[in-house]
Amino acid sequence: MSFTLARALGLGGVFLILLFAAFLVAVRFGDQPISLSDALGDPSSSSAIIFWSVRLPRALLAALVGAGLAASGVTLQGVLRNPLADPFVLGVSGGAALGATLSLFLGFATVGEVAQVGVGGGMERLSAPALFAFLGAVAAMLFVLVVSRGHGGRAPYAVLLTGVVFNAFASAVITLVKTLSDPNRLGEILYWLAGTLGYERTGTLILSALIQAVAIGVMLALSGRLNLLTLGDEDAASLGVSVVWTRRLLLLAASASVADAVVLSGLIGFVGLIVPHLLRLAFGPDQRLLVPLSALGGAAFLLLADLLARLAIPLFGSEPPVGVVTALLGGPLFLALLYRSGRLSAG
Amino acid sequence: MKTRLVPFALFVALCLVSVAHAAPPQAGPRFLGPKPPEKVKRVVTLAPSLTETVLALGAGSSLVGVSRFDEFKEVAGLPRVGGFIDPSVEAVVVLKPDLLLVQPSPGNQRPVEKLAELGVPVLLLPLQTVADTLAALRAVGKVLGREKEANALVQGIESTRTRVREAARTRKPRRVLFVYGFEPLVVAGPGSFADELLRDAGAVNVAADAGSAYPVYSLERALTARPDVVVDAADVDVGKDKFMRLPGLSQARWVEVPSMALLQPGPSLGRGLEELFSLLYPSVKPDAGTVH
Repeated sequence: MSFTLARALGLGGVFLILLFAAFLVAVRFGDQPISLSDALGDPSSSSAIIFWSVRLPRALLAALVGAGLAASGVTLQGVLRNPLADPFVLGVSGGAALGATLSLFLGFATVGEVAQVGVGGGMERLSAPALFAFLGAVAAMLFVLVVSRGHGGRAPYAVLLTGVVFNAFASAVITLVKTLSDPNRLGEILYWLAGTLGYERTGTLILSALIQAVAIGVMLALSGRLNLLTLGDEDAASLGVSVVWTRRLLLLAASASVADAVVLSGLIGFVGLIVPHLLRLAFGPDQRLLVPLSALGGAAFLLLADLLARLAIPLFGSEPPVGVVTALLGGPLFLALLYRSGRLSAG
Repeated sequence: MKTRLVPFALFVALCLVSVAHAAPPQAGPRFLGPKPPEKVKRVVTLAPSLTETVLALGAGSSLVGVSRFDEFKEVAGLPRVGGFIDPSVEAVVVLKPDLLLVQPSPGNQRPVEKLAELGVPVLLLPLQTVADTLAALRAVGKVLGREKEANALVQGIESTRTRVREAARTRKPRRVLFVYGFEPLVVAGPGSFADELLRDAGAVNVAADAGSAYPVYSLERALTARPDVVVDAADVDVGKDKFMRLPGLSQARWVEVPSMALLQPGPSLGRGLEELFSLLYPSVKPDAGTVH
């Protein structure tokens, strides 16, 4: 299972095809049946509107969020040397959730309601929960990184602990806010927290694509050094790796990627935990292979989970949050594979 | 040490900023997306009270889709387009509406804005207060070309309010707890339309000291308030038995709302007010006809 360029390219190609297939299925099917010939031939038909303006942006969003969460997951598990690390341990999710919860609690739909600022009226329609989630994520991330800095260079567990404690604190505040909320507001908060893929503007999608490309690019570029870090800090340093800087850069890249994903979609758990572990079970622990495969695999996984959520609309009369689907789908799948691999290696 | 405090300070500041703006301006009815056509023929609604408004204006035949919470028999056969916070964009697009009626909230903001961008004319109608409800009736009447009907409905509600206020003036004010749920105890607080109707009916809302329109209310405060009447508007009876037996509440007169009129901010508000009045003063006969 050694790393060769040919193997990486081959597997990457297979996963790319897989992702493309998932993408095609995700835009083809959904809540309403559409006619492909209308969608491609008659731009004024509802089929075309649904295909191009509803499903295509949403599929792109799912792919971006899935790629970011899974790539950050595999990177964090390496950086923090903890198999249970998932993108949310950094406190980013806690901060984002707290920000969004506060804005929903106060009933803000748009930034225009918070402050009368008009950059050509653009701010009037900016989603307030998304903006508050972003501010909360950035504040929490800075808080965790700075507080754990005294140890962060040498002891990865300090970041992990600070993140876990911050998340616990944030969830207590969220519970308090939920207790104080109107039943109407409570529904909105619960819905946001469950993690749902919504409808973003083209500009938001392009900006997110850029953020994810840079973040995943950094994670990919440093994945070789991360391999060395897993040998232990001293060994890595003796091989010429700047331990502190590598760790710091990777934490920042992963945080940025997760913050972007959380702001777009709320809290979608499990993708960042199980996709990397599934791939590690299948292809071994080399980060140079796992980072790109996780990004592609995570994108495909979330595309399919979102498709299932949308197909479940006739069943429930409503769309289940995609975070629920990823957990329902991923949990049993993961346990089954873990059990199988344990049996194989024991035998 | 100084630098470590910066992010924390930033975070606290963020919380304070949001608290400082705790009362967002409630805008009236407003349009989003393209202008609806002169003659609106295909209407989709995302809330039962808005469906009821269209029906009351006599434009029920223009409805082509409703939310999954609608129970009116007139719309029983219509396609459902999802719920209040999770409307299905695809289901609405397929119906090709030339007007979408929405009660705005942060929960449905993104799908509703998406629909407006896709060319669906949207009319946003906040429905927090009685004034909101009347403004919504007028706005829907105007866009559907049924201003006369809308004015008649609004005038009906307003004259009912005047009449009930007059009738209530000579009565001893009742102290009322208006309950939406028992576990947890959720009541009508200040800013809810039920609170306004209680005042119209000459009642004192014992939860007027609560911080919001639909607060989770303190049990101890409910007990010490010693309401004369408890209005049970709860959907489910969970916890009601225990609650009823508590001292301070067991001697109150317990009444149940007879219809949805008191629960939906729509055209039947006048009827709801009359129902509320006769719940509070069962011996008084309403002295005039009912509002349609």
